[in-house]
Amino acid sequence: MEKIIVQGILYDFYGELLTGHQRRIYGDAVYNDLSLSEIAEENGISRQGVHDLLKRCDRILAEYESKLHLVEKFTHIRQKAEEIERLSKDAAVGGRMETGAEDGTGRQDRLAYADDRIVALAQAGRLAREILEEL
Amino acid sequence: MAVKIRLKRMGQKKAPFYRIVVADSRSPRDGRFIEEIGTLDPMTEPSTFKVNEELAKKWLANGAQPTEAVSRIFKKAGIEK
Repeated sequence: MEKIIVQGILYDFYGELLTGHQRRIYGDAVYNDLSLSEIAEENGISRQGVHDLLKRCDRILAEYESKLHLVEKFTHIRQKAEEIERLSKDAAVGGRMETGAEDGTGRQDRLAYADDRIVALAQAGRLAREILEEL
Repeated sequence: MAVKIRLKRMGQKKAPFYRIVVADSRSPRDGRFIEEIGTLDPMTEPSTFKVNEELAKKWLANGAQPTEAVSRIFKKAGIEK
């Protein structure tokens, strides 16, 4: 993944923990893709100063992640919730096809059972979507 | 006038999305840009991007400077300077 994207995600999670000055300059670099000289000129500091500040912020943010793992956890939860959403959708569709195909004795029971299952799957899917929205 | 081609981050926190924009280098901060020439979605695996090749080539030919990140996207998109 592009460095600037990784930096942007770390900034999303831990940016509030930087000082106001660091936050502004790091934000310009990773949200607006500004160059060192552009940031230096904007803020009246040297290019080297900007470079050092960005490096320091990279280190600070990486350290937060190595201790708190918020990005890692977020990524795992999102992947799993997406998987649940997909599985519940697929299973509900499969369930509907089954009920449509069968006939004969005990059909009503099976239909009622299948309906319950489809409702449960729809609820699982809805919960997964809620988790994804809340993340 | 120094013109740059850079990424501009949009989207929400923790759900990044980028526009590839042409912007005046002298007013980098205020977010004004001249034209949007593409997008980058890092939420897909692998990242997906769209670039309007015609516009990108036009701006490059006119001396617009892409940032390093944009250069790499252009390279992947097969856009030469």
